[in-house]
Amino acid sequence: MIEAVGSFAIQSARSVWEFVELGLSTARAFWRQLFKRRFRWNETVHQTYDIAVLSLPVMVFSLTFVSLMFTIEFSFHMKLVLGQDSLVPAFSTVFMLREFGPVVTCFLLTSRVGAAIAAEVATMKVTDQIDALKILAIDPIEYLAVPRWIACVFACVSISLVSVGIAILGGALIASLKLGYSTGQYFNSMFTFTRFVDFQECFLKAFVFGSLIPIAALYHGFRARYGAEGVGEATTRAVVSGFLLIFIADFLLTYLLYRV
Amino acid sequence: MKWIKQMATDWIVDLGGATLFAWESVGTGLRRGVRLSNLVDQMYQVGVKSLPTTITAGAFVGAILAIQLNVQLRDYGAQAVLGGLATSTTIRNIGPVLIAFMLSGKVGAYTAAELGSMRVTEQMDAVRCLGANPIEFIVVPRLLAVILSSFCLLVIGLMVGIAGGIVISHLVLSINAIEYVQKIPRYVSLWSVGTGMVKSFVFGIVIGVICCYRGYTASGGAAGVGRAVRQAAVEILVLIIVLDFTLSSLSEFLHAFLRVGQL
Repeated sequence: MIEAVGSFAIQSARSVWEFVELGLSTARAFWRQLFKRRFRWNETVHQTYDIAVLSLPVMVFSLTFVSLMFTIEFSFHMKLVLGQDSLVPAFSTVFMLREFGPVVTCFLLTSRVGAAIAAEVATMKVTDQIDALKILAIDPIEYLAVPRWIACVFACVSISLVSVGIAILGGALIASLKLGYSTGQYFNSMFTFTRFVDFQECFLKAFVFGSLIPIAALYHGFRARYGAEGVGEATTRAVVSGFLLIFIADFLLTYLLYRV
Repeated sequence: MKWIKQMATDWIVDLGGATLFAWESVGTGLRRGVRLSNLVDQMYQVGVKSLPTTITAGAFVGAILAIQLNVQLRDYGAQAVLGGLATSTTIRNIGPVLIAFMLSGKVGAYTAAELGSMRVTEQMDAVRCLGANPIEFIVVPRLLAVILSSFCLLVIGLMVGIAGGIVISHLVLSINAIEYVQKIPRYVSLWSVGTGMVKSFVFGIVIGVICCYRGYTASGGAAGVGRAVRQAAVEILVLIIVLDFTLSSLSEFLHAFLRVGQL
């Protein structure tokens, strides 16, 4: 029993440290590329197109539904708890900015982008392409990790901002169609509580989640076992650990920014 | 314009394929039955092993919602109703959605990966060569196990989420736990709990059908397994979001239509 607990603790401590090490070495490789003017523009642009631009249609589609659902549910709850729903626009916009916009965006990106990165890197590992890169004296972290990291951070931050825009427009739409507001009333009510700090929180959360997603994916991709099972397992683990990391980071950030 | 046409065609093909696949699995399951030991084995694999992850996710969801809703009620000066609002939000819509996202990875992607690697390493064909039906022996137990255990895990996750809200509001937000709990039955109606349960069950079906379909139809070696897992994860998430909106609207419509009042 004690042996099992101890080995579990050592195992988890070791994998946490390896995860942190991968993140740090990615950041260092990014720094080095930036200053030695060996920045891989082609690869970065290619990855940004793949990760940010190609996920936009799916994201816009699902975030529209999220915003509609959210405004309706919030109005239901406000009527239930406070007896009136005159502040629904303010509450739902603040909640969307502080919490739901970045979290849902980054969940969708984890399962789309994180899984794709893990599957790609695990396939490269299984077919020995990563060893081939090393033979050609190309650092896999510099070549694979840094462009994906930049692209993913860019995608998370920009799509979170898009999600906020969609949330406000979708909320205004459903509020004027279903809940009986005029659009002017909606925006008036929205600006009573929404502050610039909420935008900053949205930005910060998206940045943190966006840098966690590719690191988790690459971590499991680089450690894939051989064979088709290995690729499937690495992809699954990348998605699950991405979700868990986002939950934990979200809790910590919410807790820290609670007083602001 | 070409890619829109291509996308629409792919979408219709996948929709039809998934429907036929679900139809065939349900038919086979009803005709041939499911072996109980097989089902229990699968439930252990996908259900019990996902329990720690689900509990973690549920606790964090409840805690985050309590803190965020407190930020808003603080502006309004109505912190006393936090218990009712946070619990109702956790049970009715945000809890099921966020925990189902977690399960789409832990249960859905896992099953898709397992079935996909069976497919590309020709184990499905081996089962067929032995004169057995792979849908009966491999797919049906997994489908049933994923649906049942997703539902159970979602319910457990929601209960842990409520507990997480209580703990965090007592420790961090300095709202007395007894006061918090007292507000719960006043604002959480049976109808809300029922809505949450129906949502959990529908999300379980979505996870089960999509992951089995994607895994069963995987092709193209190791890269194909990765592709199947990726597609399963994304499609489950998008469907969960769309169905959540549909079910929320339907629940509200039925609530008004049946005039259930305080239920």
